[in-house]
Amino acid sequence: MAMYRSHVLICGGTGCVSNGATEVTEAMRKELARRDLTGEVLVVPTGCHGMCEMGPIMVVYPEGTFYSRVTAEDVPEIVEEHIYKGRPVERLMYSGGEEMPTVPHYKDIPFYGKQHRIALKNCGYINPDNIEEYISRGGYEALAKAITSMTPVQVIDELKASGLRGRGGGGFPTGLKWSFCAAAKGDKKYVICNADEGDPGAFMDRSILEGDPHAILEGMLLGAFAMGANEGYIYCRAEYPLAIQRLKTAIEQAENYGLLGENIMDTPFSFTVHVKEGAGAFVCGEETALMASIEGQRGMPRPRPPFPANSGLWGLPTNINNVETWANVAQIIAHGGEWYAAMGTEKSKGTKVFALTGKVKHTGLVEVPMGITLREIIFDIGGGILNDRKFKAVQIGGPSGGCLTEEHLDTPVSYETLTALGAIMGSGGLVVMDEDNCMVDVAKFFLEFTQKESCGKCSPCREGTKHMLLLLNKISEGNGTMEDLETLENLANMVQEMSLCGLGQTAPNPVLTTLRYFRDEYVAHIRDKKCPAGACTALLEYSILQDVCRKCGICARNCPVHCIPGDRTSGYVIETERCIRCGTCFEKCPFGAIEKK
Amino acid sequence: MSEITLVIDGVECRGEKGDTILEVARKNDIYIPTLCWMEGLTPIGSCRMCVVEVEKNPKLLTACTTPAVQDMRVSTKTEKLKKYRLQILELLFAGRNHFCMFCSQSGDCELQRLAIEHGMDNVRYPFLYESFHNDATDPHIQIDHNRCILCLRCIRVCAEKVGAHTLDLEQRGWGTNIVADLGKKLGESDTCITCGACAQVCPTGTITLRDFVYRGRRNDCDDIVESICPLCSLGCRIKAWVRTGSVVRVEGLSGTSADGGQLCQRGRWELPKSTERDRVTVPMIRTGSTFREASWDEALTLAASKMKGALESGKAAALLSELSTDEELTVMSSFFRDTLKMDKVDGYYGNMLRGFVDGFRPFADQGIRPFTAAHNIASSDAIVLLDANPQEEAPVAASYIRVSTILERAKLVNISTVKNPFEGITDVDIRTTEKEMEDLIRTLRQGVEGQDVPEKLKEAAELLKNAQKPVIVIGSSLASYPSIVTEAVNLAVASGAFFEDGLGVVPMLRASNSLGALNTVTGTKDWLTDSDLDFLYVLSTGMVDEDKRALEAMSRARFVVVHTPFMSHPLVNMADVLLPAPAWYERSGHYCTLEGERRRMNMIVPPKGNVKGLSVIMKDLAAKLGHELAQASAAPCENIYASTAEPVAARTVSMKEEG
Ligand SMILES: Cc1cc2nc3c(=O)[nH]c(=O)nc-3n(C[C@H](O)[C@H](O)[C@H](O)COP(=O)(O)O)c2cc1C
Ligand code: SF4
Ligand code: SF4
Ligand code: SF4
Ligand code: FES
Repeated sequence: MAMYRSHVLICGGTGCVSNGATEVTEAMRKELARRDLTGEVLVVPTGCHGMCEMGPIMVVYPEGTFYSRVTAEDVPEIVEEHIYKGRPVERLMYSGGEEMPTVPHYKDIPFYGKQHRIALKNCGYINPDNIEEYISRGGYEALAKAITSMTPVQVIDELKASGLRGRGGGGFPTGLKWSFCAAAKGDKKYVICNADEGDPGAFMDRSILEGDPHAILEGMLLGAFAMGANEGYIYCRAEYPLAIQRLKTAIEQAENYGLLGENIMDTPFSFTVHVKEGAGAFVCGEETALMASIEGQRGMPRPRPPFPANSGLWGLPTNINNVETWANVAQIIAHGGEWYAAMGTEKSKGTKVFALTGKVKHTGLVEVPMGITLREIIFDIGGGILNDRKFKAVQIGGPSGGCLTEEHLDTPVSYETLTALGAIMGSGGLVVMDEDNCMVDVAKFFLEFTQKESCGKCSPCREGTKHMLLLLNKISEGNGTMEDLETLENLANMVQEMSLCGLGQTAPNPVLTTLRYFRDEYVAHIRDKKCPAGACTALLEYSILQDVCRKCGICARNCPVHCIPGDRTSGYVIETERCIRCGTCFEKCPFGAIEKK
Repeated sequence: MSEITLVIDGVECRGEKGDTILEVARKNDIYIPTLCWMEGLTPIGSCRMCVVEVEKNPKLLTACTTPAVQDMRVSTKTEKLKKYRLQILELLFAGRNHFCMFCSQSGDCELQRLAIEHGMDNVRYPFLYESFHNDATDPHIQIDHNRCILCLRCIRVCAEKVGAHTLDLEQRGWGTNIVADLGKKLGESDTCITCGACAQVCPTGTITLRDFVYRGRRNDCDDIVESICPLCSLGCRIKAWVRTGSVVRVEGLSGTSADGGQLCQRGRWELPKSTERDRVTVPMIRTGSTFREASWDEALTLAASKMKGALESGKAAALLSELSTDEELTVMSSFFRDTLKMDKVDGYYGNMLRGFVDGFRPFADQGIRPFTAAHNIASSDAIVLLDANPQEEAPVAASYIRVSTILERAKLVNISTVKNPFEGITDVDIRTTEKEMEDLIRTLRQGVEGQDVPEKLKEAAELLKNAQKPVIVIGSSLASYPSIVTEAVNLAVASGAFFEDGLGVVPMLRASNSLGALNTVTGTKDWLTDSDLDFLYVLSTGMVDEDKRALEAMSRARFVVVHTPFMSHPLVNMADVLLPAPAWYERSGHYCTLEGERRRMNMIVPPKGNVKGLSVIMKDLAAKLGHELAQASAAPCENIYASTAEPVAARTVSMKEEG
């Protein structure tokens, strides 16, 4: 490898690319060529850095200077000042508010400070399209170690010792699951990587696939070796073309290096892997539906038992794990199970990647040790609530997760604690909400999604979620009764206990947790016909604060239904009965004289 | 199988390892409500009515899918379960149109029955009643999606038993719906074979057969008769519902049999249609261009007088239907052969049966039964069709072929002189001519035996070599070439097509009691074509149109007695004397079926008109001819190729010098 004096890492993740990272990379290459620096400075397109909202992101080594929101126009300045003259460009550095006007280095940014990157280890550091870079950071060492000096049982024992649990939502101990598949009878077995990532707002799996595809391949190779499988599938969401392309490149390179195919590293172990594009339904992420989909059938879950370990893909023993689960495997084998188990809580070991979104200052992807509190994630890493409003709730676990409140902020995050509170770890979605979020509306929003995505096979989920949604609509429109609340709760409990698959079993979570922790808000919608957060349109009332009003008439002119009579002398009044609550007047009034209650 | 014991609702129950909780419960007479479950179909656990609680398991489990385990403690009737089941039923009622008073299946509906059973007296949820489509595009089958509860029984039977894969689901969530051919209406479907299996399994009023609705609920019927369908050589088991003397509904016998209780289109619709056909009700004698009614005695006396002279000059003959029961065949055999010693006796399919018999002879001589029960096709892993078109010849056998090729991934080889009837699911398709067929099969067999074969036969030979349980299906048209039949059996032997009951060969015999006819009425040679007859007795069931050859023989004959139930033309036009016969559903008796079983047909409705039993008529005729009816010397079915040797002992036989 040639020696470079400087490395410029430019994020090539989906977020940064949509913000113009490709143009930045182009500009950087051109500028370096123009100044004849191509031999000295290497441009490395990398995977996601997690802080997508600040993208495009660029990191310049050896200094480790972190630039955010870089545009193609900034490039000549960066080359001129930083690379040529050694003077980092301060105005492009990350700013942490008043206390930290500019933060030059990656490691000093609070967003990264509390993070602990294992699954995301290489994301943002290496060029995912280059196997050499993966290898140079210790890649495929674990594989070599395992297949040359370990028995399959030892690999599984190491996984068991690590305490790693499935990151796809269920949290089933991975080592144990592998041992079931390893014990299953049969010459032909499969391993599957679940890269369907259907949770809206989730992108941890995508970032790993795009930023470190070889980590997945190495994990699957180790799993295949441990369980005696020789064929694998990566079932990837079709909406992730970049991930699919990177996986295909990685597979091709690994094949060329003899790391995939027949007799890997001259051992009797052989393994091939296929990438299968998903069918585009949320439920296809459910393991049995996913396998049906690979088989070319309609993606519908089936009851278990039989479990995939005994009868999975095409009726043969199969082990399926999530992307993030696979991404941890190689490092566990490389460093040993104990190393991994040293992080986390008693029953939840290691780290977990969360997609932090909603009303926090810094949204993005964060990998934190298990046991960290929600407060640390939201306030220390996320920087607190946007516009310094008041924290109200956090929806954790995706659309089928639950809403937790202020009082849960200091709970250490683990599978057990979250389940006990009615939420789930899920795939790791964290949506932060402030006072403007109505909890009835939130429950409705998530249920709308699961209801639509129900596969339609089992009656509790198909019919039950439909009626739950009707009840939520009724309540949010002010037509609910206290009896409806009871019916809703009964239905939610029934759907949770009676549904066939995880989708139906967890779909009621947002409803049940909001009923549990924010019952008052439901009651306010029903008894007072009011939405305390002012989010449910049907319950809003717009009126003009006469003492603030300057009688300009802008509201009246813009009202689409002409329900604001008056003139410039006598002033204006909103006729509530005719008002359609569109909020136009509220937005148009230059003086803030319109009140929404 | 090892036995397990578990406790269900406090009762100790025995079952077998591998049973589901539901199976154990049913064996021990413990009732668990079910809706999507159906015997013989893959359980899918979707309706959730059968949920039970199992001690030490926090989850509710569906009895229909959960394996029973030794010492399990199961509760099926807790308050919680009752509450949840009731909720599901109410949701199903609220979801679509279940206003029973406007449904043709009210009283027959399983959903309604469960609601009554669960004391559902009101529905707590709003009735949504959004309009789904009412698919009335098919002339026979109607699908009113507004009544569907998505139990998916129809989809499963169509895929798992019929193999048509016509039905599937479209959309997701609450809008999920049944569709044909990935989005068509049933009437536009290219794959539906209009068998009605979907309607038979539908628990609600969604899929109905137009001819059966509003003719009486199952409960209102006077009689339910289990019988068989004699319209092809398989003799499928049927159940017929009778109301005020009419057959109002026909179903296959559901259960765990290989056919899964399906029927073909004819089996389903022919019977109720037959009951409406014009009948021959009294004996009639021709007067010029019309008939006049006569008494039995007068008609038989006339017949006997014409027969007597013909017998003396050797110009009397009998053409007998192979759709007759064993008992009828026996009577006819004793009358024509043993009593009157006639040699011109034959069945309609005489040539075909003789062709098969000649082709089979070298193997029968080895003491081996050269064919197997048709349902073994369903468990074979390679099927070779030789000019066979089972959809026409024995339709349910076509289902076996589709199911084993599509679901069980059996290989399908078609060798034919005409278009491949299984396009799209065939692995190897070879077109040939009748002239070349024999050589081609021989070459293929040599390929299976390890010799070099031409390119076009390589794949087929390879595939047969690797198959564990191949089956060769021989089309009925090949019976004209006994040597081809022999080569086909040779191919089976070389491929190791051995089943318990005989070699893996299924001849597409046409008539339902072909095997019964062999010992009794099938003649030794064809006399029909070049006959110069003074007297011809014809027994027809009226279910198959007479072919040209038979009709020509009748018109050549100087005096014809036609004995038949229906006023079918042109048959009755041939008669000088017309005798009424009971229709097939008015008779009882046995059939030797291609399914390898002797099955019993039962009288479904009592005979119409002034009919007499065949033995009474034959006895009477014999007396009028001055004879006493002799003891029958042959028994149908008995010893039809009884194996004396194991099929694996079979040897191939050479038809020509092999080079
Ligand atoms: C409706 C539904 C959707 C799911 N979607 C995903 C998904 O997108 N990705 C995933 O890894 N697991 C998903 N799962 C979980 C999988 O069924 C399965 O538990 C997981 O892939 C197992 O891997 P793990 O043990 O590594 O977590 C989903 C489950 C349900 C019920
Ligand atoms: S719970 Fe919902 S998604 Fe799962 S099988 Fe039932 S209908 Fe389908
Ligand atoms: S009639 Fe038969 S083939 Fe047609 S859809 Fe129904 S089950 Fe399938
Ligand atoms: S049509 Fe009938 S059998 Fe088919 S899913 Fe609907 S209710 Fe079930
Ligand atoms: S009968 Fe078991 S789930 Fe429907």
